Amino acid sequence: MRILIVDDSRAMRLIVARTLRLAGYEEHELIEAVDGRHALDVVAEEPPDLVLCDWNMPQMSGLELLTALRGAGSSIPFGFVTSEASPQMRVTALQAGAMFLIAKPFTAQDFQDALDPVLA
Amino acid sequence: MPYIPSADDLEVITREVWTSFLDGDPAGLIATSSEMPADKITGCVHLTGAYTGSIMLQCSPPAARQAAAALFSIAPENVTQSEVVDAIGEIANMVGGNVKSMLPGPSALSLPSVVQGLLSVPGAQVVREVQLSWHAQPLFVSLWQQAS
Repeated sequence: MRILIVDDSRAMRLIVARTLRLAGYEEHELIEAVDGRHALDVVAEEPPDLVLCDWNMPQMSGLELLTALRGAGSSIPFGFVTSEASPQMRVTALQAGAMFLIAKPFTAQDFQDALDPVLA
Repeated sequence: MPYIPSADDLEVITREVWTSFLDGDPAGLIATSSEMPADKITGCVHLTGAYTGSIMLQCSPPAARQAAAALFSIAPENVTQSEVVDAIGEIANMVGGNVKSMLPGPSALSLPSVVQGLLSVPGAQVVREVQLSWHAQPLFVSLWQQAS
């Protein structure tokens, strides 16, 4: 399976990739995008099986990316990995079509809890 | 009165970020007063809305290099300036996002900015601050509020 990591911070993309390995998902192919607009291009070229996406990014936010994907008919499993995790943001994320929201900072267990139902 | 996170809240959030991503040793961050050098590195995110203000993380250049080295899993001597900016910006974003969750909403969180030296936010004042030390280097986290 291909997992697309979308975050404008290179450090956070590395940490997400490291945490995916720690959580036991080392056999999956990891690809990256630096913001929502870049992610749209990556998805159009070769759709991944899961998108892990930051919320607050330049060019195009994670919510705008998710809205664009769902508006175009894409049903790719999508989850947020974000420092903002208020109850209101979780509701907004789920209403927009996200499957989960992982709050930063996170643990490998947080990833397993969110991803196991999706990748099983 | 809406709840404004305390200095203890700032410390708990900072410790959570540090122990998760930077330093697995919970004793690595020490609460202490120390001198912040003039050439400090400042990471900042701004909030606009029900709460308007900023969350700032300030540390010495050696601490900033150590933080970037930890996030990128490289030796401190190999850390580049852009990696320091990326790391301090992301740490400020994480701390700021978690502080935002405790503040009255709705508010919008800005993208982080990082500067070397003093960052001034006109019309804003510090309402909470915690002073910590990491590897014997100063690390301050503060919450600012814009005067209404």
